[in-house]
Amino acid sequence: MHKNQPRKVRLQVDDVAYVYEGGTRTHALEGLTLAVHDNEFLAVVGPVGCGKTTFLRIVAGFLTPTRGTVLCDGSPVRAPGAERGYVFQEDAVFPWMSVQDNLEFGLRAKGAAPAERAAVAAELIRLIGLQGYERAYPGELSAGMSKMVEVARVLATDPSILLMDEPFGSLDAQTRGQMQDELHRLWEKRLKTVVLVTHDVDEAICLADRVLVFSPRPGRVKAEVAVPLPRPRPLELRLSPEFSAIKRRIWAELGLAEAS
Amino acid sequence: MRSPGRRRVVLGCVSVAVLVCFYTLVSNVGRLVDAELLPEAFARLSRPDLLPPTQDIFKAVVSLVTGELPPMEGHHAHPSGHVSQLVEQHVTLQGALLASVLRVLFGVAVGGPLGILTGFVLGWNRTADDYLHPIYVLLRSIPSLAFITYVMLWLGHGEAHLLIPIVYAVFTTVVIPTYHGVRDLAEVYVRAARSLGAGGRLLFARVILPAASPAVLSALRYSLIIAWMTTVGVEMLMGDDGIGHLLVGGGLWSSRLQIGVDPAVIIVGILALAAAGYAMDAAARIVSDRVTFWARRRRAW
Amino acid sequence: MVAALRSIRVRRGLVGLLALLALYGLAAQIASGRLPTRVSLAKHDIEGVELLPTYSSLVEEGVFLVQAGILLEGAAVSTGRVLAGLLLGSVVGIVLGLAMGWAAGLEYALDPWVVLLRFTPALALLPLYVLWFGLGEAAKVGLIATAVAVVTLQGAYQGVRGIPGVYWDAAAALAAPRSLVLRRIVLPSALPQILASLRIAIALGWVTVIAAELIKPSMPSLGYLLALAGAYPRVPTIVIALATIALLVLVSDGLTLAAYRWVTRWMRRRHA
Repeated sequence: MHKNQPRKVRLQVDDVAYVYEGGTRTHALEGLTLAVHDNEFLAVVGPVGCGKTTFLRIVAGFLTPTRGTVLCDGSPVRAPGAERGYVFQEDAVFPWMSVQDNLEFGLRAKGAAPAERAAVAAELIRLIGLQGYERAYPGELSAGMSKMVEVARVLATDPSILLMDEPFGSLDAQTRGQMQDELHRLWEKRLKTVVLVTHDVDEAICLADRVLVFSPRPGRVKAEVAVPLPRPRPLELRLSPEFSAIKRRIWAELGLAEAS
Repeated sequence: MRSPGRRRVVLGCVSVAVLVCFYTLVSNVGRLVDAELLPEAFARLSRPDLLPPTQDIFKAVVSLVTGELPPMEGHHAHPSGHVSQLVEQHVTLQGALLASVLRVLFGVAVGGPLGILTGFVLGWNRTADDYLHPIYVLLRSIPSLAFITYVMLWLGHGEAHLLIPIVYAVFTTVVIPTYHGVRDLAEVYVRAARSLGAGGRLLFARVILPAASPAVLSALRYSLIIAWMTTVGVEMLMGDDGIGHLLVGGGLWSSRLQIGVDPAVIIVGILALAAAGYAMDAAARIVSDRVTFWARRRRAW
Repeated sequence: MVAALRSIRVRRGLVGLLALLALYGLAAQIASGRLPTRVSLAKHDIEGVELLPTYSSLVEEGVFLVQAGILLEGAAVSTGRVLAGLLLGSVVGIVLGLAMGWAAGLEYALDPWVVLLRFTPALALLPLYVLWFGLGEAAKVGLIATAVAVVTLQGAYQGVRGIPGVYWDAAAALAAPRSLVLRRIVLPSALPQILASLRIAIALGWVTVIAAELIKPSMPSLGYLLALAGAYPRVPTIVIALATIALLVLVSDGLTLAAYRWVTRWMRRRHA
């Protein structure tokens, strides 16, 4: 759907390899090359241990690739920074700060004035529908709400690209569904470049424009599946034949089903 | 701990009451019953100088608090040499307790921050940790009280050589929990903060410090007990005042070995000590709970 | 990478230690001509005191102490007391701790006394024990045992209370008899906590034995050696005694840590 117009490349990954030195050397990634375009929602799926989390950590700057380059907005990635926002699988909201303080944290790091911080935080709270919870502490929130606060916290610094590592992995199925809807709604309003790593194929198809399937270790891009489904994507979409066809294709690449 | 409830309070009180009554009985047996009627082992056990009768304990408390010897009431009632010596030296229970409390507080006030700082440095800076950790492990293996013999040679017989072991004991108690608090607990938070653009001072003050605070505060709370132990020890060895000094009968090092110790005084001293320690721990717990309220929250679902 | 890291860490650690030893040697050499050799103690002054003994005098003293049997005998006696107190105290502490963890009634009844003992430094009991048990071994071993019991009781209690509720439910659902639950569920689950508390207890045991031996010295023992060396004073002996104590503490701590790691390997694998 978006491929007709030439779009700016936000993230360029070239021939990246990563080796874990340990008791046994593990080649987590080998020859990984991909590009992410502006305002594209990219999902990455793959079998367990295929290196998708390692890949995301490299893009974020937590790890340095053994070989290859990663360019974000043209400049090489060397360390974590606010241009590449990261949402974790575990609970990463700061439990000793209120929701408001959490949201303001990134702006505080940037040196923004208190008034500006408060304004941005207020807008985000409205966006995620948690009005009234400004002074609440994460311990008082449900897991889903807490995760939304984390997403909003990352959005507060207006990053170029949003990296999400199985953000809803620790939530129960029902909450996960709700959160996926929320994320979709947020993305539509705030249009950002997103790279989502997930093991949930349904989630990938529901949210993404394009799904990359990683090969088993050592990981590289095995296949690319476009998701030309129209937005918005309500829940019923998961029952449609187009959805199933895309799912079948992805499952075939993962070796879970026969390609039709 | 199981949740407090009426059953807990009742059983606790009953248990204390039962034991006190039982003890009063046993310790007074010598006075109530003729010695020949008792089995020998029992008679030996219930001698008033081994098991002070409850009344004597009360009398000792009174003497030590008021600083006066009780009036003579006949041959049962003369105070022990221990009590007399203490009263002669104008040692009171509350005075001794105060002196010890001050030492404990000093030890925590100085040793605590030093230990926290060291724990932070070692936990945060992997290089420093690599170089310094073995040295630390070596130094903390030496019991704090053992140092006093050496320190005394440098600093003489003043207050410093009493306080240094206390400070050292608190220091070594606090370093390792702080170290683990910084290293093990804060990882995902540090990563999150970094990817939000935080660095340096903001990262330290707003992320690392709070994340490690539960471990640090609980270490400080535990160090109170250690500080008490060391304080009592140094006072027993070399102090001029304080509860430890009271427990061994006052006087200088050389004379301590000579007087007979009065168990009533010991029991009084121990009760006072435990009460003070418990009170300080309770205060520390309240403060610590208030500051780290967020660490114990359970999720809504 | 782990194996390589470990050797970097080990190498750096050794460098640190060697640097410390070298610094000390240097300081001792510089000091030997300059520090005052007269020390005033309580009532009198002593001459000829070496405040920072050089390595040569340490070695000389060490050889003498070992050959005269003083050091080894003292170490053996002190270690023996620690072990005896540890054995006695941990048996009492663990049994009581497990019992209190299991039965609420027992916990409520005994709690006031446990709290009293927890806030009473073991040393405060020393004069009492000496009065009751005389100046022999019983008082000192009893003191160590008391300190150890308090700590291990806490550890065993926490170990039992920390067992996830699901395990109790699972056992009940399988109608397991109490003895089986105790042996196969409670003990293994509580073991890590118990071992962790044992580690603390050993350190505490050493502190207590040295303190007790300093306060009521009896020969031969390391505390006595230390006290004597302090009173004399003979600084090289002090340093050697301190070093010996440190070594014994390190070894016993290391052994307990190894035991802890070995026992909890099944726990750690789960989280891998």
